[in-house]
Amino acid sequence: MHCPILIAVVIWSSCVDSQKIRGISLSYKRFYRERKSFLCIDGSKLIPFDQVNDDYCDCADGSDEPGTAACPDGRFYCTNLGYRPHYIPSSRVNDAICDCCDASDEYNSHTACQNTCRNLGQRERAEVKSQMRALDQGLRLKQQLIEEGVLTWRDKQAQLRDLQRVLDDLQTQLDDLRKEDARRKKEVDALRELEIGALETEENSHRSHIMNESPVSIFYELDSNRDGRLSAKEVRAKLTDIQDGERVLSEDEAVIRGRVPGRLVKGEPVLKAAVSAAEKAAAELKKVEDAYETVYMEIRDLREKLATDYGPEREFLFLYNQCFQLKVHEYFYELCPFNQVTQTSASGAEVSLGKWGSWAGSPQHRYSQMKYENGEPCWQGPTRNTVVTLTCGTETALRSVKEPGKCQYVAEFQTPVACRPALRQQGVHSEL
Amino acid sequence: MASFIERMYLQLTLVLSISLGIIQAVDRSNFKTCEQSAFCSRQRALRPGQSSYRALLDTLELSDSRLTLQLLNNNNKVRLLLELYRLQGNITRVKINELKPIKPRYEVPDVLITDPPTEPMSVVAQDERGVVLSLGGVDRRLYVNAQPFRLDIMEGPKLVLSINSRGLLAFEQLRMRKDTDILEQEMEVDQPGMWEETFKSHVDSKPNGPSSISLDFSLPGVEHVYGIPEHADSLRLKNTDGGDPYRLYNLDVFQYELFNPMALYGAVPVLLSHNTHRTTGLFWLNAAETWVDISSGQVGLCGRTDGSGEVPQTDVRWISESGIIDVFIMLGPRPADVFSQYASLTGTQAFPPLSSLAYHQSRWNYNDQEDVAAVDRGFDEHDIPYDFIWLDIEHTDGKRYFTWDKNNFPQPKDMLQGLMDKRRKMVTIVDPHIKVDSSYKIHSEIRSRGYYVKNKDGGDYEGWCWPGNAGYPDFTNPEMRTWWASMFAYDQYEGSMENLYTWNDMNEPSVFNGPEVTMLKDALHGPWEHRDVHNLYGLYVQMATAEGQIRRSGGLERPFVLSRSFFAGSQRYGAVWTGDNSAEWGHLKMSIPMCLSLGLVGISFCGADVGGFFKTPGTELLVRWYQAGAYQPFFRAHAHLDTPRREPWLFGPDNTALIREAVRQRYALLPYWYLQFYQAHRTGQPVMRPLWVEYPEDVTTFTIDDGYLIGRDLLVHPVTDEGSRGVTVYLPGNGEVWYDVHTFQRHDGALHLHIPVTMSTIPVFQRGGSIICRKNRIRRSSSCMENDPFTLYVALDPQGNAEGELYVDDGHTFKHETDRQFIHRRLRFTSNTLSSRSAPPPGNTIPFPTASWVEKVVILGAQEPKAVTLTSSGGGESSVEFEFDPVTLVLTLRKPDVNAGVDWTLQLQ
Repeated sequence: MHCPILIAVVIWSSCVDSQKIRGISLSYKRFYRERKSFLCIDGSKLIPFDQVNDDYCDCADGSDEPGTAACPDGRFYCTNLGYRPHYIPSSRVNDAICDCCDASDEYNSHTACQNTCRNLGQRERAEVKSQMRALDQGLRLKQQLIEEGVLTWRDKQAQLRDLQRVLDDLQTQLDDLRKEDARRKKEVDALRELEIGALETEENSHRSHIMNESPVSIFYELDSNRDGRLSAKEVRAKLTDIQDGERVLSEDEAVIRGRVPGRLVKGEPVLKAAVSAAEKAAAELKKVEDAYETVYMEIRDLREKLATDYGPEREFLFLYNQCFQLKVHEYFYELCPFNQVTQTSASGAEVSLGKWGSWAGSPQHRYSQMKYENGEPCWQGPTRNTVVTLTCGTETALRSVKEPGKCQYVAEFQTPVACRPALRQQGVHSEL
Repeated sequence: MASFIERMYLQLTLVLSISLGIIQAVDRSNFKTCEQSAFCSRQRALRPGQSSYRALLDTLELSDSRLTLQLLNNNNKVRLLLELYRLQGNITRVKINELKPIKPRYEVPDVLITDPPTEPMSVVAQDERGVVLSLGGVDRRLYVNAQPFRLDIMEGPKLVLSINSRGLLAFEQLRMRKDTDILEQEMEVDQPGMWEETFKSHVDSKPNGPSSISLDFSLPGVEHVYGIPEHADSLRLKNTDGGDPYRLYNLDVFQYELFNPMALYGAVPVLLSHNTHRTTGLFWLNAAETWVDISSGQVGLCGRTDGSGEVPQTDVRWISESGIIDVFIMLGPRPADVFSQYASLTGTQAFPPLSSLAYHQSRWNYNDQEDVAAVDRGFDEHDIPYDFIWLDIEHTDGKRYFTWDKNNFPQPKDMLQGLMDKRRKMVTIVDPHIKVDSSYKIHSEIRSRGYYVKNKDGGDYEGWCWPGNAGYPDFTNPEMRTWWASMFAYDQYEGSMENLYTWNDMNEPSVFNGPEVTMLKDALHGPWEHRDVHNLYGLYVQMATAEGQIRRSGGLERPFVLSRSFFAGSQRYGAVWTGDNSAEWGHLKMSIPMCLSLGLVGISFCGADVGGFFKTPGTELLVRWYQAGAYQPFFRAHAHLDTPRREPWLFGPDNTALIREAVRQRYALLPYWYLQFYQAHRTGQPVMRPLWVEYPEDVTTFTIDDGYLIGRDLLVHPVTDEGSRGVTVYLPGNGEVWYDVHTFQRHDGALHLHIPVTMSTIPVFQRGGSIICRKNRIRRSSSCMENDPFTLYVALDPQGNAEGELYVDDGHTFKHETDRQFIHRRLRFTSNTLSSRSAPPPGNTIPFPTASWVEKVVILGAQEPKAVTLTSSGGGESSVEFEFDPVTLVLTLRKPDVNAGVDWTLQLQ
């Protein structure tokens, strides 16, 4: 009994060896060693070996049919000599579409597939080479930009310190001027009390209350947001009992009253002089206050700017205050990193596609994507937003802008600072 | 892009009085109620009572197949001509027109496939009270009662149906305007809206005056009526007493409401009535605006019938604005008889290309070629099959159909070739509104040939639609249709290829600035007013487009055209869908009764936008919609421009897997779907069927519209509730069994079955006694599965028998018809033997070579055999390995390996 079986197995196995099992990789070969039977790789079933690749699915895991389309969710190994080997779903075997570049998936479909692995391999190697060149150059440029960034950062820090000093000076000046202003005002008040106090009746207490104060101080009292202008809101908030002829304070009225502070009753020359001195003091105070405000804002802006995340080595700092344009058909797009994205149509109408939001890349590559949010609202929908993907290149430029879903924009922004040394590893890996 | 479209919309909403999209649900004020429709309100004011018409028996003329008789209106002495025909297949046709109209009244052409063949009719009895005619059979009679005029159809002693029994026959005769014709004396007093009607700011000039018609039908013993689509309402029609009638007037309704008799995009004036004894159909052949009143109740019986006491009755009243009364009474008696009777009049479902039964991926819009390529790639990366990708209006050059946007689609042929390389296809939209632009070839040709619809003064009618100012080709003109068809030739439609198909949208026609968002009724189609032809317009558009596709292939290839609007007969030209639905659970549920209603009236190729068109579906709703859509005839995902992208892989791997599985189930069942469409094409039986169609005596089934049958053998009850943990499925059939197609668990029929569900559950059951063929090797597209083997699922009935069919052809040409090249097998399991034999008599078909074979047979409810032997023609005998699971009683036969086209027998010992 043993003998004939043994002979049969020997003959059969030599046959199988010469004609390798279709659709498996080298590392899986050990599962398919010629024996009498085949154990499904998941161990679920033992089947006669001649049922391997017999175009009928016996194993639940599909392991008995690596070379046919018989099993759902099976996979077929393309050896792809000269290119990259890879797996395809076994449903793509013999479907009259060439998937493996070595044409091995279409062995029985009457579709003449060419072996294109050599060409693909060459092309890919050339591509990888040029990518590597670009990556090297990009990394060099990135280093420069990082160094520039360090300098810029120092400059900005120095600038911040300077500004802080200026602000301190201004604060001292302000203190002095406020004292002077108060003194002058008191003087005027005293004089006024002397000269016209007696004449004042109490029939219009509001009016006298207003006249008793310096216009400038009234102005400052009213100008609650300190922007040097009075808005109707501010006036209404402070003086609800002031009303005009129409009993409602209009924006114009508020601003005009604010800008021409008071029309004083003309008094005696002494009073006049005092008033003029008080006005001068107030004007001086205003000037310094304005300067203070300006410097204060500058510091705030600078702090804000310095607080932005420019990457681990502040490599993205150089993009601040820069804008990049791209024309796509009839639309003109502008990306101002860390600021905003806009779209301008041929007719000149500008639409905000989002303001700087945050870095939005995956946890591993946080700096590979930027998110700009809260652009102009969409009709019947949410606000526009843009996701900018940063790609490695030797130039810094906006490469593409698209709107795959309504009001959801995606842009590709190329810059050397997006180059990562890790990309070199990946490139080398695919270079087989 | 976004901002442009937005502005265009805003502009439109400012310019036009209608609002396109500001509101969240339908703006009912845009559409007329019966009260606001002058003729409907006039007609409805007429209450049931004694008819003012009397049949003049002395005018009776009977030829072999036709009886004519004059009817006299006792009030105004106007005479009508009644024509009665007995048609082949148990159909009676009743036509009523004015005896001498002052000008012809419109009679609907092109809907009937032929002048219906008649059968001889004979007078059985006649006296001064009336005439009795024989309608064939032993005891089918038509009683003509003279005064008041009334028709009764009897079968033996049973009254099947009465016409004008409530005296609502009303015929507004054509007349001259009083001020222009002083000779008119007997004329009734003019009522408002007879000579002019204003709706919102739109004036209908009505130069022909009043012309409406009405007739009532009484159905004794009937409590359930169905049909008259398209309405977003339950399958069973509701009583309209106290509300508006069901309206049939093809309209582009923005964000339509559910459970509402308002008109929608299409109209099929066919009503089915059903009780445990009989199914009948009424086909009201009229293309004008129509309203249908339904009133059910109990009536006392007397007179000629055998019954006594109270019985249920349903009264149906039809009202149309113009034309004639031309009604076909289809007498069944079984549901299948009514379907074949109706098919004998208007034809059957076009047999679609196999691939069009697969999955379609659409969105308004795929933006450019790169987008199309990326979506195509996405399907492969996520291993989800699809066959068609669709391009909506933005693919054109400024909404000029038959053109491509130069920036976004510069190389359409490259794109189509890319799809073809994957054995996939594309659909582009071609709407019937044509941009008025002298540099646009389509427009200038239509204008110079005089093919546009004219306004009442004879100039070209123009309205607003997507391109702005647009003309509307007169598709009722056969010359125009021929020309339109020629525009689909490969050298005319630049950038088109053989894997490019067509979608006709907005063909109600939709006119943004028109009354009720459609065309003025006094616009002219040759000699006829738009009023007369309105509901036909959409049918003609699809007819001409399908013809174009056939012609471009030299008559070889089957067309695929999707249409939003339709009429009776539209089934001959392709698919329809339920229009612009919303991403809401209610709309998902409603997709079932809407498609069932269409199936009942001949239109089987129906689907709803998977995911919902307006708004954004939650993930659960999207998954459930894929699961439901996979088991509806037309399976297409579609989305509004303003909604976020929703390709199947955008919702995490778990949901991608759920959607993949639903789509795969569709692909596995494609052989079964294809067979159902082949049968629908041959016999007119619906593909998607209400349960009562197959279980006509089981009253439990009469109101079910959350579960349905595909063909006879699959029962589907999709999960359509949010957060559902179980569904209650009614499995019909006393003494029958059903098998869960996923677990193979067996359940008894005539029972409500509660089954727990998870997100992956799609409740589907196979009828015991059936054999279903599947292809279980799911590939990238249906074309890739062409040569794949079949797995047979043999579900045994309690007696151990089962039957089924297998149909195979090339999947895309007319050769199955012209050359009879197909395989049609009858599969039978009886006495432990499964056999495959040719269904048509041998010699009747040309052998169609197929590479497909039988890879597996799964027998449900089986016993363990000792051995299994295969005998095949020319193959001799061989033994077949098998596996038996004693718990589930599933017997699996391993690899019979026999060609699908030959005779074979599997013997279980």
